Amino acid sequence: MEFRKTLSSLLQSLKEDKEFTDQIVHWHTIPAKEAKSVEMPKDLDTRLKNALENRGISKLYSHQNEAFLYANSGSDFVAVTPTASGKTLCYNLPVLQKILQDETSRALYLFPTKALAQDQKSELNEIISEMGVSLNSYTYDGDTSPAIRQKVRKAGHIVITNPDMLHSAILPHHTKWVSLFENLKYIVIDELHIYRGIFGSHVSNVIRRLKRICEFYGSDPQFICTSATIANPKELAETLTGRQVKLINENGAPSSKKHFIFYNPPIVNKPLNIRRSATLEVRKLAGKFLKNKIQTIVFARSRVRVEIILTYLHDLVKNELVKKSIQGYRGGYLPKQRREIEKGLRNGEVLGVVSTNALELGVDIGSLQVCIMTGYPGTIASAWQQAGRAGRRQGEAVILMVASSSPLDQYIIQNPRYFFEQNPETAIINPDNLVVLVDHLKCAAFELPFKVGDTFDGLELEDILQFLAEERVLYFNNETYHWMNDSFPAHNISLRSASQENVVIIDQSDIANVKVIGEMDRFSAMTLLHDEAVYLHQGVQYQVEKLDWEEKKAFVREVDVDYFTDANLAVQLKVLEEDMLKEDHNAMFGYGDVTVQAMATIFKKIKFDTHENIGSGPIHLPEEELHTNSAWISVNENVVERLSIKRVEESIIGAAHVLQHVAPLKVMCDPSDLHVIAQIKAVHNGKPTIFLYDRYPGGVGLSKRIYETINDVINEALQLIEFCPCTEGCPSCIGADIVSQSAKNDTHFLLSNIKDGTKNVVEK
Amino acid sequence: MSLKNKLNRLKQNIVRENDLPVQQENKDSSSQNDLKWKEHNIEICHFEGQTCFIREVIYPLNFKHGHYQLGDFHEIVGLWNKSDSVHPLSSKGHKSSELFFFDTETTGLGGGVGNTIFLLGQAQVFHDRVVIRQYLLPQPGNEIALYNCFLKDINSKTLVTYNGKAFDWPQVKTRHTLIRNSVPSLPAFGHFDLFHAARRLWKNELESVRLSKVETDILGIKRENDVPGYLAPMIYFQFIKQQQPEIILGVLKHNEIDVLSLITLYIHLSFIILETDQKASDEEHYEIARWLDYVGDSKSAIFAYESLLNKKSNKEDQALLAISMHYKRQQNWNVAVKVWEEIIHMNRSGTQEKAAIELAKYYEHKVKNYKKAILYSEMVYKLINECGDSKKTNDTEISKRLNRLKIKYAKNIPRASAGSE
Repeated sequence: MEFRKTLSSLLQSLKEDKEFTDQIVHWHTIPAKEAKSVEMPKDLDTRLKNALENRGISKLYSHQNEAFLYANSGSDFVAVTPTASGKTLCYNLPVLQKILQDETSRALYLFPTKALAQDQKSELNEIISEMGVSLNSYTYDGDTSPAIRQKVRKAGHIVITNPDMLHSAILPHHTKWVSLFENLKYIVIDELHIYRGIFGSHVSNVIRRLKRICEFYGSDPQFICTSATIANPKELAETLTGRQVKLINENGAPSSKKHFIFYNPPIVNKPLNIRRSATLEVRKLAGKFLKNKIQTIVFARSRVRVEIILTYLHDLVKNELVKKSIQGYRGGYLPKQRREIEKGLRNGEVLGVVSTNALELGVDIGSLQVCIMTGYPGTIASAWQQAGRAGRRQGEAVILMVASSSPLDQYIIQNPRYFFEQNPETAIINPDNLVVLVDHLKCAAFELPFKVGDTFDGLELEDILQFLAEERVLYFNNETYHWMNDSFPAHNISLRSASQENVVIIDQSDIANVKVIGEMDRFSAMTLLHDEAVYLHQGVQYQVEKLDWEEKKAFVREVDVDYFTDANLAVQLKVLEEDMLKEDHNAMFGYGDVTVQAMATIFKKIKFDTHENIGSGPIHLPEEELHTNSAWISVNENVVERLSIKRVEESIIGAAHVLQHVAPLKVMCDPSDLHVIAQIKAVHNGKPTIFLYDRYPGGVGLSKRIYETINDVINEALQLIEFCPCTEGCPSCIGADIVSQSAKNDTHFLLSNIKDGTKNVVEK
Repeated sequence: MSLKNKLNRLKQNIVRENDLPVQQENKDSSSQNDLKWKEHNIEICHFEGQTCFIREVIYPLNFKHGHYQLGDFHEIVGLWNKSDSVHPLSSKGHKSSELFFFDTETTGLGGGVGNTIFLLGQAQVFHDRVVIRQYLLPQPGNEIALYNCFLKDINSKTLVTYNGKAFDWPQVKTRHTLIRNSVPSLPAFGHFDLFHAARRLWKNELESVRLSKVETDILGIKRENDVPGYLAPMIYFQFIKQQQPEIILGVLKHNEIDVLSLITLYIHLSFIILETDQKASDEEHYEIARWLDYVGDSKSAIFAYESLLNKKSNKEDQALLAISMHYKRQQNWNVAVKVWEEIIHMNRSGTQEKAAIELAKYYEHKVKNYKKAILYSEMVYKLINECGDSKKTNDTEISKRLNRLKIKYAKNIPRASAGSE
């Protein structure tokens, strides 16, 4: 009782103390919600029912019940489930029921990470041992010891793995998994929303291969998916699984009253619109709660940030609390250590935890009272997942989002409407991206030959198979396309990387301990990893000592300098084919195939505070070519005729800068997945044009969606400009390159004219 | 834009360097080729519209392959049948022709479903001759014929292979699974994997235990104009596009020698196992004894160690140490202690430390004479540190033991001195 009082008095001080009120830009209260429960289904196996009762579950939430009914009726479905709503029962219940009824049944669980798979195994095994039946659930991943692999293959009722393992270890060896594939009843895909962009496009093809193998062994499993809140769970599930799925959208889990507070740190540099560091603000806020013994979770965006905040907090509360009661949690911690922290959070021994998004996914840590986000997590879906960590059945919960100075953060924090009222993001995948598709066709041909007339989960293949035979990748004989090659195709294809030939970033600060710290696609590497570039990785500055373009390696060393580098990329973009075009009085909107030629030319060294140019150098790298899809906006003469050429140029560059920030929000991708460039005179139509193109060869559907929702995108761009507190343009809106005082207004003028015009779009 | 155009545009992203070219050319009309195959004693077998090539080669029993005549195999099977040994390589209960020497050639070097077996080779020793039969896949898409022909002829009980437990046989199972509804099921086989035997006996002696290395260094087999195994996939890809028998003959010959060498290898291994005392080198003798230990045949193992001791070899200390462990297991402490002391006096690094450790353990746990235990532990410590590059784990282990002993010693001085009398 005392805790609750403290929390409400703290809330009061947030509401009243000037120290805070000036910074709180939005206070959103979400009322408490009662649980919607139903009785256990009558046909539920008694052993399962008793086991659940022993674990304190005597009723089901409505969505769990709905899942059970759909599964029993043979439907594929996706359940949208926020954090801590008992989503695992949505699949564990039907799966266990099926295996209890017929012990030859098998199920395959796919989790995006190994850690989640481990968690799931522990949870499942607890229920199984409670039931006292002999039922095997195993994880199968890189850590599985060779000694038990055989057993998992032959006798695992539930095999828990990840898509990468399915792709490179299970499917190419499917003959060792005959009992699994012959008896597969359910395929569970948890954290569906993670499978978007290039990763999702790959995984949907892995699923096509999986379905093909199941068909070969005569099984036809049902799909059960769970997802965080996104705009299009049903569409994503259907594209990913190639099935018609039912949607469970109504959540029956209870939730407490929540205060969602948007907190913007004070401005410290007015002209550049730079704010006080979010990290320092978080230290102050988290300290306030922790000192009052209120369980708090702090999210940070990088591992380094986690460690910094953790050190701050330890220091801040060292007189009041034992160090152990505040813990860090991130990738790189040992599984045992993680389990202990999770347990400590559940039983209250751990009072505070500072985490990366590792705790955003379905790890069970119970519910805390306060959640603080250090910066906007990047997507609305992710923000809600993190927010879901706070909120117990009784009492109130507080969620604080502390914005950083980045344009995206500033946009979100100043547009609560966008966050609370708009649909969350749309997750986009493109399983038919030719590069991805063909890669997986090779794997599929390795797994089973293709006969003439075979489809790939419904997709016609004849043209592609013929092409591959002509290109001598496949061998055609007796109406069948055979893999006839001494390589193992799955080993050459990574599901997670956006490009086939990434540049590996090698940190050689410590000669005795040279390590790979990341990778980057070639296109971005030209401007970010050239010789002498200052590369920021998780908040740490590195200087590139050598970029070995042939070997695709960038050697970096940690430095501490007061400048960053900015490279000029000369980009030539040519439209090869206009697939779609809409036109009206003020502008033209197009979508189609383009070729992009890019060459890095020079780089500048720019001082942090003053943005002075303090030096420059040439970049010697060959030109790169990219074939992809693009959306574009071309402005008609009647809009720009009133402006000088220079102002047209500035406004179009400004608009491109704003769109670069806003567009990724719409299509739930990383800003580097969608590039934006401006041309004062586009080659194909001679008009000032802004192109938004997919970074991945062949495109993953991002630019297509941009074309389809161009009005929304332009609207958001206008909002960003309007809400930006600067007067003449800043890095948070139209960018720092433009110097004219008129630029901000011109950009706004340009975009608002395009916007008006698009109300009367006529499809060509 | 048409799909074909897009595919061509993205070609550099789609067709990777490591997608090896397999060119398809017009195949010769078959009748003309049939004759060519006949010239090379290759029979063409048709099955439900598919084809398989079968090559048969016959060797007389007096053919000498390496140090042995192939006919020696009959003698070996006779010896096993007379012997009481339970050795894993024993062919007791078999007739000669029931052993099935087997090796495959595949289109890839690793595993995985898509790694196609294009050649199944086998040899059997009959009362009057050795018959080698090879089943060749003319092109992809003829595996039903390949496996039907292969399985139809099988009349043996036990496979003899080189690394077939890990590779060849699982791969046969894999490819068989893909067509399991169109071909007979695979028979259950016993399996002698001679690779494991070779590794056991010669891994210290040979730089590698590849079959070719064992052939030259142990079996006295010389190959002439041999096509190396790793080139087999490339040659096969060439063959399927041109369909000329001459292209693939080298691979067939290579496989033929492989299975033939398996016969020689089995003969050789059996001789040194059955007549270890006369036929095995000291190293082999020691390893064979250890092998018997490993399979749990203590009686034969001790016998083998003892006969090795009689040879006065430089393996004496190791053999003694191995025997002493049997005494220890039998709790025959007096004899064990004597042997350990003897080993220490032999002053050979490796065994000396181990004997001292055993004595330290013995005095600590059995006799509770901590003073003596400390003495031997210190000896171990000294020996390990003299070695210089010794393993750190041993080092910390022995330090731990010493510390523990010193504490025990301090607590139990009266008892310790009593024990040392």
